[in-house]
Amino acid sequence: MLGEQLLGNLIQGLVLGCVYGAATMGLSLIFGVLRVVNVGHGAFIMVGAFTALLLFNVFGINPILAVPVALLIGLGLGFAVYYLVMQRLVQAPELASLLATFGVGLLLEETVKQVFGSEFRGYYWSVGQLDLGVTVLPMTKLYACVGSVLVAVLLYIWHRKTRAGRALRSVVEDAEGARVCGVNVNWVYAMSFAIGIGLTVLGGVLLTMFIPVGINPYMGGVYTLKAFVIAVLGGLASPYGAFFGGLVFGIIENGSYTLLATIEGVEPFALTRALSFIMLLVILLIRPTGLFKTK
Amino acid sequence: MSPSRTRLVRYYALLPVLGAYLVLFLIGNGQPDMWQLVAMLAFYCALGQAFNLFLGMTGYVDFGYVAFAGVGTYGMAISISHLSAVEGIGGWAIVIGLLLGTTMATLLSLAVGAVALRLRGAYFAIATIGVNEGLRYFVEGARIWNGSDGIIFSRDLRLIFGREAATALSTFWADVLVLLIAALAGVVTLLFMRSKIGYALTALRADEDAAKVMGVNVTKYKIMAFITSAVFAGLLGATAWALKLTYVYPPDVFEIHYTVEAIVIVMLGGVGTLLGPLVGGLVYGLSKYWLAVTLPGFQLLIFAPLLLVIVVLFPEGLVGVLKKKIGNRPLGKFIV
Repeated sequence: MLGEQLLGNLIQGLVLGCVYGAATMGLSLIFGVLRVVNVGHGAFIMVGAFTALLLFNVFGINPILAVPVALLIGLGLGFAVYYLVMQRLVQAPELASLLATFGVGLLLEETVKQVFGSEFRGYYWSVGQLDLGVTVLPMTKLYACVGSVLVAVLLYIWHRKTRAGRALRSVVEDAEGARVCGVNVNWVYAMSFAIGIGLTVLGGVLLTMFIPVGINPYMGGVYTLKAFVIAVLGGLASPYGAFFGGLVFGIIENGSYTLLATIEGVEPFALTRALSFIMLLVILLIRPTGLFKTK
Repeated sequence: MSPSRTRLVRYYALLPVLGAYLVLFLIGNGQPDMWQLVAMLAFYCALGQAFNLFLGMTGYVDFGYVAFAGVGTYGMAISISHLSAVEGIGGWAIVIGLLLGTTMATLLSLAVGAVALRLRGAYFAIATIGVNEGLRYFVEGARIWNGSDGIIFSRDLRLIFGREAATALSTFWADVLVLLIAALAGVVTLLFMRSKIGYALTALRADEDAAKVMGVNVTKYKIMAFITSAVFAGLLGATAWALKLTYVYPPDVFEIHYTVEAIVIVMLGGVGTLLGPLVGGLVYGLSKYWLAVTLPGFQLLIFAPLLLVIVVLFPEGLVGVLKKKIGNRPLGKFIV
């Protein structure tokens, strides 16, 4: 009985984990290239969620089509934030960039709050479901999962096979050397930041396909924290590491929740979260390069 | 100038700091309707002074700093709620609460220090966020200290002191204690700056590896600053939160926004300066108060772009700019 429930929840966790992974790749990409931790990560997830919500509820556009729109919005936001704020902070101490990304997140949250209010919203999109015996997967979750894998593959191709990707890798390796070889380092920073934000906003859309309710201006905070754990699982600086980190996180989150719920006298939901942060600390202590081998 | 006189000159900078806290107290004491504002300003100044002891001195960004204030709050809450029924303990419950709060903050800082202080930069920041959030959800999840129901001890406080004294305690004496904590943290900051500790930390902040190679025991001084700063946070939690509010809930005391406020105050005033947290706390508190009165609901919307302007255009803070302007002129002795 518990075994079946566990298996069902692990499958759910795996599917959710793909989406977590895709929604965290942007954080890792930005840290990998600029060495900046985007503390405002969750606010960009929230922008994605609102994009999906508005396109669906106002224009009747389904969330799959909202994905490219969100990517474009994210790219625009990313370039704007980079050139207005981050450009001057790439070489600054952590304090400045942490505070700046927090400020950007706060600005986004407060702007959205002034426009849409702070009540929770949601949308209802139903396209059937898939019965696996141990658990039932709505098709929207499957779409989100497939979309996430697709995004990860596309990022891989861009990173490995294109000229821009090569320039990016050269900057990660040695920014000075890349500059000497004629790479426009500032442009690479701008592009990486914009793509990182684009991926994050897009991740927000995918997350709403998974959890279409509970959209409000402050929904992002919890995703910022989850993204930190996921990114650390993957080594913080590697987008693919983050994707696999998401898978691991989704499985552990759902699995441990199921098991902790069997213990009397505890709050399994809170304890699951506590466990994820303990995991974060342990990994930072024993394997700060992440769980997976990177080249 | 005699040698003792020159030595004394090094501590002139305490005058504006202690003077400001005294003036703050006198304003509040003379104008009862100003006390609320004074209490808020005292809290922000104390938060800044305490946080600056670590962040300003070492350059390490502790994003989970509020956790120390959180356990300090719990220390006081546990002491009062458990000791209220004990005969003859009276006001000692507060002393025990302060001791328990600081002990818990010290223990936590030792644990965190052992793990997180091995990390640097962004990794340290993320690890400390993890500590704060992990602690909050552990308290809630494992249902220790009453879990998410929190501890409400206003009744216990009245039981110990009687109605009137308990009210005076949470509306007046708690704030006086906060002012004292702010002043004490300022004194310790200058003592650090003027001793070997300060020089070691300056070297560490500039280049940790170089400092290590030169024979500075960086770990020792880092941990010293970390613990000192944590103890002040614990005291602050025990007074400004526990004694003042007479309840404690995990999501309130492990709220990351307080850490961010602390960072903003320190940065606004000037990282690693003595006067910075005082100036930062006053400016931050007053503008927050003013915005809440004039534009309720829009504070954060205005605050966010201001934050960005400060980070991008004035990273050395108000006192940093002032120090540069004044340089070595006689007045410079007072501005550190």
